[in-house]
Amino acid sequence: MNPTIMRLTARALLGRRRVLLLLPMPLLLIGMTVIGVTSGASDDEWGPPVLGNLGLSVILPLTALVVASSVLGLEIDDGTITHLLTKPLPRREIILSKLAVAWAVTSAATAVPLALAALIAGSGALAVGMVVGATFASLAYCSLFLALSLLTKRPVAVGLVYIMLWENLLVGFVAGARVFSVRQHATAIADGIGGTPLLSASVSVATALIVSAVFVVVGVVGATRRLGSFALTGEAS
Amino acid sequence: MSSMPQPRTGVIHDIGYQRYEGPRLGRGYAARSLYVHSVRSSFGLGRSAWAKVLPIGLLGMASIASLILVVINTQLPEPVLDYAGIASTFTYAATVFVAIVAPELVSVDLRTNLLQLYLSRPIRRSDYALAKLAALATATFVLFAVPMLIMFAGMAFSTDDGIAGVFDELGGLCVGLLAAVVHAALLAAIALPLASLSGRRVFASGIIIAVFLLTAPVSAALEAFSYDSAAGHLAGLIDPSRLLAGVDQWLFGVDLRLVNVGGFGAVYGLLTVVLIVAGTACALWRYRKVKS
Repeated sequence: MNPTIMRLTARALLGRRRVLLLLPMPLLLIGMTVIGVTSGASDDEWGPPVLGNLGLSVILPLTALVVASSVLGLEIDDGTITHLLTKPLPRREIILSKLAVAWAVTSAATAVPLALAALIAGSGALAVGMVVGATFASLAYCSLFLALSLLTKRPVAVGLVYIMLWENLLVGFVAGARVFSVRQHATAIADGIGGTPLLSASVSVATALIVSAVFVVVGVVGATRRLGSFALTGEAS
Repeated sequence: MSSMPQPRTGVIHDIGYQRYEGPRLGRGYAARSLYVHSVRSSFGLGRSAWAKVLPIGLLGMASIASLILVVINTQLPEPVLDYAGIASTFTYAATVFVAIVAPELVSVDLRTNLLQLYLSRPIRRSDYALAKLAALATATFVLFAVPMLIMFAGMAFSTDDGIAGVFDELGGLCVGLLAAVVHAALLAAIALPLASLSGRRVFASGIIIAVFLLTAPVSAALEAFSYDSAAGHLAGLIDPSRLLAGVDQWLFGVDLRLVNVGGFGAVYGLLTVVLIVAGTACALWRYRKVKS
């Protein structure tokens, strides 16, 4: 970890008005939760659509995608990555610093509103579950998307295909695909701790922890190796 | 004093440059070229192989899905999905497509200040915006039309009613293509103005997909809260893909249980038209403001 890289990354990510871009999604989640609680629908009616389908399966991956693919992707786009690469730092340190910032920002932008939503719904245990689940899933998503931003020139496009076609579409048809869906891991962990009808998980907590951990390791190792032999090309970004 | 002839201090030497005397192709030609180039580049044609992977891959997946549908449809007594049904069902993939392609078409030009080069030709700002919008709509239309044509070929060859059966399928195909036009126009009119907000493809894609992904669960949740009431019937209006499914249901009688419009079909149709017009106006307005 390198505090200077982290500071510069955080400033590039959150500086000026960019931090405002992270606000609308949490507000939407809180708003929908308030509507859900006051609508008089039962917990298992409004909980899964709002907390699961909106919170854990759209807001969490989308925030992680934009944040994680821009911490390193913007530097590659701008060419400022050369300044970073010419410093006498191990590549591992660069990756870990970038990942730490992305993880912190994503967790803060998702875990806090999800916990608030759970508290509004009246379940303290679920709030704890949401914080743990969202934090853990943020790490998995961020490592995956950070690695993607090094492996391809169009990380957001590939990440979108993963989120929309794999996690949202394929999982509906092929049950086995759930095991490799970070969103299901987040749901499993949050539901495992919370234990309320507000969420319904479909994979076991053990599977979720193991597979997400594998995703994190694969993402970090893949990104580090890739950055170790990184070639700057002049092709249009 | 000023009537006195100035002394000649300089002279332009004729060093033999020729004047261009061929035809001048003008504004329409330039706009058409930009349109054709944009349609090609939205599928990565004329670019590197990596640029082709995602758009062609999505098109290929849609085509395979439609081949599978042909097999299922021919085996069952009643087809599970007709042509307009394809338009409704494949809208989800089409939102991914526009989120990937729209930034490709406009964001790179914004970031690299390419617009001024275009504007040094006889096209105007509005031509640029309309050409890009039309290109995105055409590319999206192709994404719908190719699976429909594959389905038509499959169904026409396997029909049992001879030439009448073929014409039956042809009628269905025309309805499907009409639905595809509506879908492509709306998706492009939403995505292009959003993409033109950011010169960064990361953020442009993010904004577009946020609009499509966030509205879907919000709309579904609102419908769940107030099922089978007027509010429930109108909840589909919030989500563009369910709005389009509602239009299909209203105009073409597609019923896939994606949305229940109740008696409000005309509202869905009206909102679609309003959104297409508003999106086009936003794109035009946005490009009036872009500095060049």
